[in-house]
Amino acid sequence: MPLVIFVDDSETALASTRMVTDSMPITVKQYLSAVDALNEIKGGMVPDLIITDMNMPVMNGFEFLQGVRANASTARTPVLMLTTETRDELKAQGKALGLTGWVVKPFNPAQLKQAISRVLRLA
Amino acid sequence: MQFLQTLDGLLEHIKTVEYETIVLTREAQLRMVRFIEKNKMTLDDETLEAMQYQDIVAQQLNATIEAIESAQEQMQHFMHVFRHDDQTAAQSIEKMQGKLTCALEKAKEKHSAFSGKVNREDDEDGIEFF
Repeated sequence: MPLVIFVDDSETALASTRMVTDSMPITVKQYLSAVDALNEIKGGMVPDLIITDMNMPVMNGFEFLQGVRANASTARTPVLMLTTETRDELKAQGKALGLTGWVVKPFNPAQLKQAISRVLRLA
Repeated sequence: MQFLQTLDGLLEHIKTVEYETIVLTREAQLRMVRFIEKNKMTLDDETLEAMQYQDIVAQQLNATIEAIESAQEQMQHFMHVFRHDDQTAAQSIEKMQGKLTCALEKAKEKHSAFSGKVNREDDEDGIEFF
């Protein structure tokens, strides 16, 4: 099963995504810290899709994305930003950094499932 | 001077209440999640969407706590100057007013930035692929 990792400093946000993805044919790993997620990636974990929050302490979503892109095995891994931010300049910045897409919170569960299926090309 | 000290105390109180609200709503939400997962309950999309509101509320409150801390810093700086130098205090009032206005503007920007789709009138689905 494809590995999807979620990174968000909010436990309740991670719980919401967990309840949405429970029924999907994917393996989910969740991280409260982008630093921890990046360390696992550097240690050899290769997710099929990364979904990350933007505003996080210590390492924000863009810094995490740069770390992901700098790692050879995840340089082309799809990354979705899941955030309350709606500013166009941030979306443009994300796109320039190699972001795959932008999902605004609160997300519609059916649409998030569709987005994950689309990126992973699930039947 | 006494007025500023009282205002500082009031802001500290508001910060405390906001922080406690974040903690309580998070705990309430997590307890509900544990119950739902333990009992293998399935929620409909509308409820799943509502389950995300605590995160948004917490971000909004954290942003106002930051704004309050910024305002308090300016007020405390002014109170320090006022105690030590009457002449500089007059100039400091103007500076403080400017910085408080700046703190308020930043707080309003964050309110908008952290609202996500909540309070938006457009009907976009909120997912965009690049």
